[in-house]
Amino acid sequence: MARRITWFSLLALVLFLSACSSNSNDGGSAGSGSPSGSSSSEASPTPGDPTQADFSEPVKLKLVFYTGQSKRMAELAGNELKDLVKKEINAELEFVYLPWSEYGGGKTDLMLSSGEEFAAYTDINYLSKSVSKGLYADLTPYVDAYAPDLKSNVAAASFDAFKLNGKQYAIPVGNRASSAAFYSVMVRQDLLEEVGMTSIGSLADLEQYYDKVHAKYPDMIGFASADATYMLMYEYTDKNLNWINNFIAVNEADQDDKLISWYESPEFKKYADLMNGWYKKGIIPKYAVTNQPQLMSDWNAGKAMFFTGTATRPIEGIAGITKAVPTAKLQNYFLSKNDRPKISRGTYNTAYFVSANAKHPERYVAFFNLLQKNQELYDFFTYGIKDKDYTLDENGRVTKLTSDLFFDDWMMMNDKFMRFEKSVPDDFIEQYKHWDDDAILSKTAGFNFDNTAVKNEESKLNGVFTELVAPIASGFVDYDTHFPKTLQKLKEAGLDKYIAEYQKQFSAWYASKAE
Amino acid sequence: MSEEAYRLSGTKGRAKSKWLRTLRNDSSLYLLALPGVIALILFAYLPMSGLILVFKNYNYNGGIFGSPWAGFDNFDFFFSSMDSALRATRNTVMLNVLYMLTGTFFSVALAIALNELRSKGFIKVTQSVMFFPYFISWIVIGAILFSLLDFEKGIVNKLLEAIGLQAVDWYAHPWLFVVILVLANIWKSAGHGAIIYYAVLQGIDTSYYEAARIDGASRWQLITRITLPMLIPSIILLTLLGIGGMLKGDLSMIMGVTFLNPLLLPTTDIIDVFVYRTAIRSGEFGFASAITLYQSVFGFLLVLIANKLAGWYDRDSKLF
Amino acid sequence: MAIRENKTLLIIFYVFIGLFALVCLVPFVLAVSGSLSTETEIAANGYSFLPQGFTFDTYKFMFGSKSEEIVRGYLNSVMITAMGTASAVIVTSAYAYVITAKGFRHRNVFAFFAYFTMLFSGGTLPWYILATKYYHLDNTLAGLFVPYLLNVFLMYLQANYFKSIPHEVVESAQIDGAGHYLIFFRIMLPLGQVGLVTISLFYALQFWNDFFLPLMLVTDEKLFTIQYMMYYMMANIQFLASGAASRISGAIIAPPLETAKLAMTCLTVLPIAILYPFLQRYFVRGIIVGSVKG
Repeated sequence: MARRITWFSLLALVLFLSACSSNSNDGGSAGSGSPSGSSSSEASPTPGDPTQADFSEPVKLKLVFYTGQSKRMAELAGNELKDLVKKEINAELEFVYLPWSEYGGGKTDLMLSSGEEFAAYTDINYLSKSVSKGLYADLTPYVDAYAPDLKSNVAAASFDAFKLNGKQYAIPVGNRASSAAFYSVMVRQDLLEEVGMTSIGSLADLEQYYDKVHAKYPDMIGFASADATYMLMYEYTDKNLNWINNFIAVNEADQDDKLISWYESPEFKKYADLMNGWYKKGIIPKYAVTNQPQLMSDWNAGKAMFFTGTATRPIEGIAGITKAVPTAKLQNYFLSKNDRPKISRGTYNTAYFVSANAKHPERYVAFFNLLQKNQELYDFFTYGIKDKDYTLDENGRVTKLTSDLFFDDWMMMNDKFMRFEKSVPDDFIEQYKHWDDDAILSKTAGFNFDNTAVKNEESKLNGVFTELVAPIASGFVDYDTHFPKTLQKLKEAGLDKYIAEYQKQFSAWYASKAE
Repeated sequence: MSEEAYRLSGTKGRAKSKWLRTLRNDSSLYLLALPGVIALILFAYLPMSGLILVFKNYNYNGGIFGSPWAGFDNFDFFFSSMDSALRATRNTVMLNVLYMLTGTFFSVALAIALNELRSKGFIKVTQSVMFFPYFISWIVIGAILFSLLDFEKGIVNKLLEAIGLQAVDWYAHPWLFVVILVLANIWKSAGHGAIIYYAVLQGIDTSYYEAARIDGASRWQLITRITLPMLIPSIILLTLLGIGGMLKGDLSMIMGVTFLNPLLLPTTDIIDVFVYRTAIRSGEFGFASAITLYQSVFGFLLVLIANKLAGWYDRDSKLF
Repeated sequence: MAIRENKTLLIIFYVFIGLFALVCLVPFVLAVSGSLSTETEIAANGYSFLPQGFTFDTYKFMFGSKSEEIVRGYLNSVMITAMGTASAVIVTSAYAYVITAKGFRHRNVFAFFAYFTMLFSGGTLPWYILATKYYHLDNTLAGLFVPYLLNVFLMYLQANYFKSIPHEVVESAQIDGAGHYLIFFRIMLPLGQVGLVTISLFYALQFWNDFFLPLMLVTDEKLFTIQYMMYYMMANIQFLASGAASRISGAIIAPPLETAKLAMTCLTVLPIAILYPFLQRYFVRGIIVGSVKG
């Protein structure tokens, strides 16, 4: 009996598998027409020239956004926005909203892999993975013809960042001062002044600030994060370090292509010791080992003294805190930075890809162009309709009349067009305007790593990182006792091979860039 | 007609007409099974073609069947990190065995106790309350547990200190945390399991109990001699069904309850967690599906063995 | 003597069940009280049995901006749970009857055919392609329950309940000339009522709790279920808290409020927890009556 079952079920399985294979093959071939071929032949009357696409035929464009759609946005999408897009590029927009968990994977991946037509935003990491699987459309031919305004309003380096082998796979959006992200300390200025200090210029100042506030409010935590790699860099080294990923750093002060194996460097030891000191002292709370989300909650509840900063964080973060502490003020400081230039990884906010199967990539590109075309459209996409959703005063400061979001601020922000709210102090705006003055573009900007040769090692290294390296890097355990074993595990996981492969690709790219 | 008779009739003489008659006889059974069969084919068997992907390097132009073969490359990752793979396998099996033993014990005990109670209202209320945990996601449970177990502000440590004991850093002891996980699992699933067993008990013919009571059996004897034996087939069934998933684990539970605390990984690094923090973190889904296949095949072998054993005990309790 | 023994044992049982129920209730009380507290107090002091700074703000906030969506989410959930449970219970118990039918020589084949799917799956990609491109279940109500019509675990449970029905009952019906349809609808379903109650409860929970199908197949907000709205929010919280958000922008996107998370938990649990015990009986009776007529 048993034998019969096994035989029968095997047969059944084979039958279904084969039945299915013919099915899915249809699916595969239906969706797998070469992306560039289909786009140029169907979209334009002159197959040879993608810049001469015919816009007289109305098309539907699908945009995938993460987070949810606000009520006002839905109204706008059904009326004014609809009319505008129809008029400008003869297209109809469909918005699809997914939870953040589906960003850079999850359902986004399924939609791409099954050949749906849509556009969504991406990052360099996800871009290189997806392009190697052939999931993104090559947008190179359309940029000049259909996104001239975007091209002039977004830095050229941002376009380079989303190129792979010379092809443009995603269109960057946004242009803002973003150098030295996470390299600054964002301090609760109100507390600082409350304990009789005015500013912070070094680690010693920062610890003094902690001690004084701690004496007054023993319940408060110091640092609302468990990662101060960037922020403390100015203290533990004279180099000007920047990180490509968890494992690899470069010194931006040197004009060479040398990569640094971060965890093996003496700087990492110094950093880990500093963090361990903070942890023991309570600047980083004990619970941070377990419950990192709680750090953010404490920060937003006004229960933390400082955090890592970016150029815009003081204004972006203030709304959250003032709910709990109405008098809160935030201010960025650098610790012992001296004259080291700030490092910029590009001024873009994000970038849009178009799925490989899209029949009208040029129409998508034309739509992205609208996002950053001019002040009027920028205001429309970001703030809604004037005098209904927002008002402007004589200085161009904006007052929002609705709490509903349209196109997210963080995505749209462009120094050419951006507006500040009335509550933002003038000195912050002044500081912001000059934020990038002493910035240099990282020598790694535009480099994309192809991990095919070392994906095995990369996965294993991530395993060692989450279990053994992270606790050392956050100061939860001390370097001297735990590092030797960790290093051994890193080596076993293939750290040397991984770094060597990275170095090989980076050197080749660096040399080609110099030419 | 018994199965034996069927088989005999099928082998001899007038085989053909007999076969046709059985088919006609059984046709109503095939029809009853049809909706289920269709559902299984559409949503389980046809998608199984995806198993091929484990041996391939998926790319969009090739699709599922046209993508280049990768052979066993995707398996390399897991089996070349042998010590991690072994530890993850051990943790998974250990936690699952503990969950199964304690979960079954508590479910059965609750079901028997419920069965003895007389107050209808009490039964109804407690029965629905036991379902509450089933609805609360592990993220929320994790947050609640954290407020109980936090070293500095946690309620448990405050209680310990109040009675003069030392505070315990719960999130730093991997083996202590196994106990916490087991308790959390009982809490979340025992009520659920109790309902299954309780339903079986409600189906028992009351004449058994009456007869035993006339013979002078005590309440405890009724439980051990009648109630418990009645539950054995169901216990076997649920255990068999559980064994297939012996190598699978609940990522959302470990993530919710431990926040993937690195200090706890020596015991909480189950296969699914390991996959999450290595392959999935690196975006290597091929590795992830290879490991899933390993979990399935291993579970399948275990079930075949367990099913055989169950068959020796009682033919009727086999799964297939 | 015998009576006293019975009493102590009974008391132990009452205490045992009572305690367990209490332990199950505690987190729920914490969630309810948390959802009625102010955000600042929760962040500062953690959870408590009594609301801290009692307020309905969280609910006001949620209902204020989303009342329409929440009501619609409930309606969708109720509809899907009702339709899904009713059809799944029929499909499942019919299949369970087949694998327990005494004398049916292929019953093991059917059992194995179902069991195999419990262990092996081809992953989400082929499933997604089939469901959207071939079955066209995307953005349909059917898509939110049809893929789950046969839960093999519950099918085995039901088969187990069928097995406990004395075989003589079936045999005597067969002698009277009853076919399988008649036996299934007129004898097995009514006699297997306790089992049906149980698996319908589990099916109802499965459909009520599901967020996978909406996540995969629904983009139209009109079809969102309450559970998916909950998942949506939780997923956003986790993503933003994981720090992955900084990959996209340097912005601190303030995670949705802790209290909102708890309020959402209450909103998903409360209705089913309160209503189910009352609905259960009518529901199952409805299925049996319906199937006997049909």
